[in-house]
Amino acid sequence: MKSIMRQRESLSFAEKLTRLSGRLRDPEWRKYGATLLTGKMAGVASTLLIMAAVTGIFFSKVLAADSTVKAADVVNPVNTAWALIAAFLVFGMQVGFTMLEAGFCRSRETVNVLMECIVDTCLCGILFYAIGFAFMFSHGNGFIGYHWFFLQGAPETYESTGVAFLAVWIFQFAFADTCSTITSGAMIGRTGFVGDLIYSLGVSGFIYPIIGHWAWGPDGFLATMGASGYFLPTLGMSFHDFAGSTVVHTIGGFIALAGSIVLGPRLGRKFKRDGGGPMLPHDLTIAASGGLILWFGWYGFNPGSTLSAMDIAGIGRVSANTTLAACAAGLTAMMYAYIVSKKWDVGFTVNGFLAGLVAITCPCYWVSPTGAIALGGIAGVVVCLGVELLEWLRIDDPIGAVPVHGICGIWGTLSLGLFACGKYGATGPLGPDNSAPLTGLLYGGGLTVLKAQFIGSAIITCSTFAVAMVLMWAVNLTGTLRVSEEGELYGLDLHEHGISAYPEYVISSLAAPAGMPADLTVGQPQGHGVGKLVTE
Amino acid sequence: MVKIDAIVRPNKFESVKSALIQLGVEGMTVSEVRGHGRQKGHTEVFKGREYSVDLLPKIKMELVLAEDLVDDAIDTILTTAYTGSIGDGKIFVYDLKDVIRIRSRERGKVAI
Repeated sequence: MKSIMRQRESLSFAEKLTRLSGRLRDPEWRKYGATLLTGKMAGVASTLLIMAAVTGIFFSKVLAADSTVKAADVVNPVNTAWALIAAFLVFGMQVGFTMLEAGFCRSRETVNVLMECIVDTCLCGILFYAIGFAFMFSHGNGFIGYHWFFLQGAPETYESTGVAFLAVWIFQFAFADTCSTITSGAMIGRTGFVGDLIYSLGVSGFIYPIIGHWAWGPDGFLATMGASGYFLPTLGMSFHDFAGSTVVHTIGGFIALAGSIVLGPRLGRKFKRDGGGPMLPHDLTIAASGGLILWFGWYGFNPGSTLSAMDIAGIGRVSANTTLAACAAGLTAMMYAYIVSKKWDVGFTVNGFLAGLVAITCPCYWVSPTGAIALGGIAGVVVCLGVELLEWLRIDDPIGAVPVHGICGIWGTLSLGLFACGKYGATGPLGPDNSAPLTGLLYGGGLTVLKAQFIGSAIITCSTFAVAMVLMWAVNLTGTLRVSEEGELYGLDLHEHGISAYPEYVISSLAAPAGMPADLTVGQPQGHGVGKLVTE
Repeated sequence: MVKIDAIVRPNKFESVKSALIQLGVEGMTVSEVRGHGRQKGHTEVFKGREYSVDLLPKIKMELVLAEDLVDDAIDTILTTAYTGSIGDGKIFVYDLKDVIRIRSRERGKVAI
């Protein structure tokens, strides 16, 4: 045996077989083999025994699901948590808006922009608590809701969503705040602060909630249209706006348009057709970063509008569509700018991806990712053309709020009629309901959806613009809408708010800390050596 | 005593400054200025609209020198600030009436 075990040469398989048959005939090898085999069996058996023992000791208690999952125990909390996370993200868009607007305006009006954004938010919160949510989301008639003023008499959860009532309130407040901030965008640089307060009262308290009720209220006439007994019963389709291309962005954009028309352009503004150039932005770092923060917040705006984490396919799809539309739009806007000006323009690119986000906001639930790319890509070009249009019409829109929100909001709403892919119907607290999917023109669904979208968008756009023109004109009559000429030339920051955004560089005397007496020797003891006189 | 104003490109300033210090120039006043010469700047495009950039940033160095250092200083500036393209800058030379050191009240060449 020993002589065989010392063998060092490697054997072929046939040679190994021969060796095995030889060994089987040898009694010593047979004993050795039997011992080896017994040992291996014992090892396997003891391993299995240990596994069984450990399982028995540590894993015998299995958390079994109840036979019926009670909605109130699990589903509602999950959906409420989702709604709140989304609400916080949408509120985060306020930072984005503030940075975007501040970056694109001049440094002399920056503090004014900051104040308007902050105060619009605060006003919107109080108004939405008092009357806004009531007008927009309570039952009433097709035009307006009239319950739950000051949030009194409200149920625990909102309608059939199962989400806590106040969670829905804050979620919708964040949307209302977005609309209110959009309106100030086209009006920066020459709006009086008191005028801004007054028109914000109108926008957050009345225009947005009431017109929004038509599309999003439980009995809003556009939400229920197309069925018998309601508005346009033969249409067979209601107006759809998943997260608010029309309700938030078009409304905001067209109020902004009305405001900038009534205000007129900033002093010294010369338009392209008169040979003028842009009023340059003062901080593109802040502007571009603000745009990206807006994109981030949009991940609450769109997917959160399901108000349901149980619709996992829905929230996943909406998030993906949102992303792809923004990406496509940013690229097409950048290409358009390059073709037109031979420069890779950052202003058009930032406005581009924002336009894609606005456009996807309405159809995000019902389109496929491919459709999202297509409609986003178109939005990127539409926004650039919109900027040129406003410039040609001699309307001064410092940050492009009207093309991004107003015009691309309309495009996004109409695009549902083209790109709805025929697979998705409605979201719900326990999951999606795809029994009646929306199908757009490009997927063989005919013109039904497109007609409903067109009607809804046209009604909302025209009413918003008309009411907003009346509001702005009325505020203008009080003399508070536009600042005085000296105020505007001096700079809104100093005129309205008493301080510049960058006081170190602008107004304090160099090297003197603010608040120190002008004469530095006052209060110092006399006789402190300042250096001996040197006589020649 | 002579005062020299040298207006140079911002990216050439560091080499001009170190060359002058090596030469023996002991003090200078430097400011960031904007201006243009005969070319009057150029046009750029933002958001599809053209605008003119006619005031270009430069660095202005103000030097006060004794007569014996002036020619060397001017030669140094001419060599280190030169690129050959439009926008290299200019040197202005003035006669100076007096120089006074505030700490010690010295006047004249001693105060440079």
